[in-house]
Amino acid sequence: MQDTLATLISALLAAGLYATMSYGLALIYGVLKVINLANAGVLMLGAYVTWWMWDAFHVDPLLAPIVVLPLFFLFGIVLERVAIRRVIEQEPIVSLLLLFGVWLILQNVAYAIWTGDTRSIETPFVEATFKLGGIQLAWPRVYVFVAGALTLAVLQLFLTKTQFGRAIRAVSQDREAARLAGIDVERIYAVAFGIGIALSAFAGSLLSLLFPFGPDFGGALQLKSFCVVVLGGLDSFVGVAFGAILLSLAEAFGLRWMPASLQNLISFVLLVVVLIAFPKGIAGIIRSLRRV
Amino acid sequence: MYRLIALGVAVFGFLIFPIAAPHAEYALDVLFLMFLYGAMATSWNVLGGFSGQVSFGHAAFLGIGAYATALLAAAGWPLWATFPAGGLLAALYSLLIGPPAFRLRGPYFAIATIGIGEATRLIALNWSSLTGGASGVTLSSAPPAAVQYYVSLGLCAATVGAAAWIKRSRFGYALAAVRSDPDAAETLGVNTTIAKTQALFISAFMLGVAGGAYAMHYLYVSPDSTFGFSTSISVVIMPIIGGIGTIFGPLLGAAIFTALREQLEANPFLAKYSLDLSVFGLLLCGIVLFEPRGLLGIFDRLVRRGAARAPKDSVTQ
Amino acid sequence: MNRPEPILAGRGLTKRFGGLVAVRDVDLAVQAGEIFGLIGPNGAGKSTLFRLIAGIMRPSGGEVLFAGKRISGRLTSTICRLGVVATHQIVRPFKNLSVLSNVMVGAFFGRQPRPAHERARELALETLETCGLRDRADAAASTLNLAGQKRLEIARALATDPEVLLLDEVLAGLNPTETDRTLELVRAINARGVTIVIVEHNLRAIRGVCSRLAVLDEGRKIAEGSPDEVLRDPKVVEAYLGSAAHA
Repeated sequence: MQDTLATLISALLAAGLYATMSYGLALIYGVLKVINLANAGVLMLGAYVTWWMWDAFHVDPLLAPIVVLPLFFLFGIVLERVAIRRVIEQEPIVSLLLLFGVWLILQNVAYAIWTGDTRSIETPFVEATFKLGGIQLAWPRVYVFVAGALTLAVLQLFLTKTQFGRAIRAVSQDREAARLAGIDVERIYAVAFGIGIALSAFAGSLLSLLFPFGPDFGGALQLKSFCVVVLGGLDSFVGVAFGAILLSLAEAFGLRWMPASLQNLISFVLLVVVLIAFPKGIAGIIRSLRRV
Repeated sequence: MYRLIALGVAVFGFLIFPIAAPHAEYALDVLFLMFLYGAMATSWNVLGGFSGQVSFGHAAFLGIGAYATALLAAAGWPLWATFPAGGLLAALYSLLIGPPAFRLRGPYFAIATIGIGEATRLIALNWSSLTGGASGVTLSSAPPAAVQYYVSLGLCAATVGAAAWIKRSRFGYALAAVRSDPDAAETLGVNTTIAKTQALFISAFMLGVAGGAYAMHYLYVSPDSTFGFSTSISVVIMPIIGGIGTIFGPLLGAAIFTALREQLEANPFLAKYSLDLSVFGLLLCGIVLFEPRGLLGIFDRLVRRGAARAPKDSVTQ
Repeated sequence: MNRPEPILAGRGLTKRFGGLVAVRDVDLAVQAGEIFGLIGPNGAGKSTLFRLIAGIMRPSGGEVLFAGKRISGRLTSTICRLGVVATHQIVRPFKNLSVLSNVMVGAFFGRQPRPAHERARELALETLETCGLRDRADAAASTLNLAGQKRLEIARALATDPEVLLLDEVLAGLNPTETDRTLELVRAINARGVTIVIVEHNLRAIRGVCSRLAVLDEGRKIAEGSPDEVLRDPKVVEAYLGSAAHA
């Protein structure tokens, strides 16, 4: 019993992480219909910037988002204006390849500035644990979960309560209709992309508290975030949260009878299976069931 | 006409190279790699370029071919026999994963292939009883460098020849139609699923054979070196940079790729900052943004200098 | 009246999209060699019905028969090889290929048993000749204007050597000269023995070229017969006027 509870809690915490990693991806896909293959690179750079601020300037990593968020928001806007904008009207594979190229460049930036050595952050907080009902929990993991949940709440509020947020939802539902309604679609693209990148960088910043990392960090996580987004149905943040929980539960319980090195196989298999069998994701299925 | 002569001269030159320069070991090595990459890039191009199905998981086939050669050679098979065996095994594997993956279109197919490639690597890593797990498999001996060179050259020539033949054939027209508009192709009688599966089969076979040559050369195969994502990336980058969907584009891309890799060894500055990543990344972005037909497309544009003729037809050339 | 077996028949064809019924229990019988027209006001379900009989969409109910054999539910490519081919309302040329290569795809994969390259090329050139595109054979398909692309669409389909050719709004967007030229082409194709089913908005053009018409309104067939009969039928007039009044 205790064992199952521990697994569940661990899975829940992991879900928080997976969800935070995937919001950016989901937003960019939902609004621009572009698959951000550079997501891994952004995660990685978010982690690096956080580490660097701690290593070179002794800035507490918990404060890093203050810099990371606006910095990467700007980066996202610039990237969208300069490159993404030009290929958005073409077949989706084109933007995929473009972002893949961007990912390579981002990796290089990391190698060039910080070399290929593994980095990790060591502060008292990062190493701290506490006990809850007999289960040992690491503070950073709980923090990441809470941060992830708060992010979801803020995002949902933004999308539903603000005018800009509603404009974003309109564009993601029907670009042309939104344009006709007077929405500056190009501006929405830039901002949404910027927010998406900032979110991923934020996730990377959180990740730096949990694991040591190097420039190729993000590759395996990238596939997991694809899996999460696909499971959750590609177009809603609640769906992402849902997909994250599904994946982390599948992994946590899969670990019971599978060697740890095969754990990533679960997300890969789920990704492919869901892509093929449930193009609208599990959330989409539930939605269509509700309609009947 | 001049192109054919130039081609003939180049081919002749490559054919006599080991005989003319028997002690140019380093050059022999570089050329071996260039032809091997050329074969690999051409193999990917049959699926990715001709039929437009961009796969980021092709390393799976290289890996299967490489391991097949390594394991069969260890079991006593002659090297030359292991190559087609590896190719066949890779092709059979493609029959397993192809049909479900082909139900996906465009970018979703690409993402699924990332998953499949990685999954294959993980299986290779964990199936220790067969593959030796992370420690990989070593081969005992390699043929002399000149022999390896001719094997690689022959492989490259064979794959390019096959690609050229396919492109002009009825099958090639089907692939071009699938690439352009699969639904319209169906209404004209092209069974797109079968066409794609056939293209994948051929692509996997060729890459599997190339995997054998890889194993022969490096004498060591491991899950990360053969099944790794970076291998998948390289077989995507080469044809795109050179000219996706063309016959010689992948070769051009392979030449550039080899040159850059070789520079990486030679130039400490380049290596220290891993600038090869940026070069490829920038090339990729540049091509996607400005000239999707790759370097060959840029040459073509320069040659035509804006003449109001029809752009190079990708099939009837 | 003792009619020979229709070459293309629809029996009880129905198509549902979620809660919406686009086509409701439609029977259709197209005789070999005729030019059969399918008309109706906007939203009547013509395009959907067209897609059902072309095999591009599966019916929710009913079946489509070609020469007595069931084709509904089969692969589109198989249906083409059996002899039924359709063009698209919005032209879909293979942009990366030349005009000639576009048509060669049809020649290679239609009813002919796997022709050799030279033979397919010959067939394609002949077809281009018939469709008045011979001189643009080596041009990129994307350089043709709309009228040219519509003729390419027809040429491509014709190269598959069909018994039945289905044309979806092939006159849409054409000026009067182009319209007449296309209708001439349709008649020429029909004269070679190809049965033609044509979905059209342009009533004047249709009455000149079709031997029989069927009228759809709100998914149901409301009339069938010769153009004169059908266009004077009060139900049909009502359907068109009624929809115009509500438009």
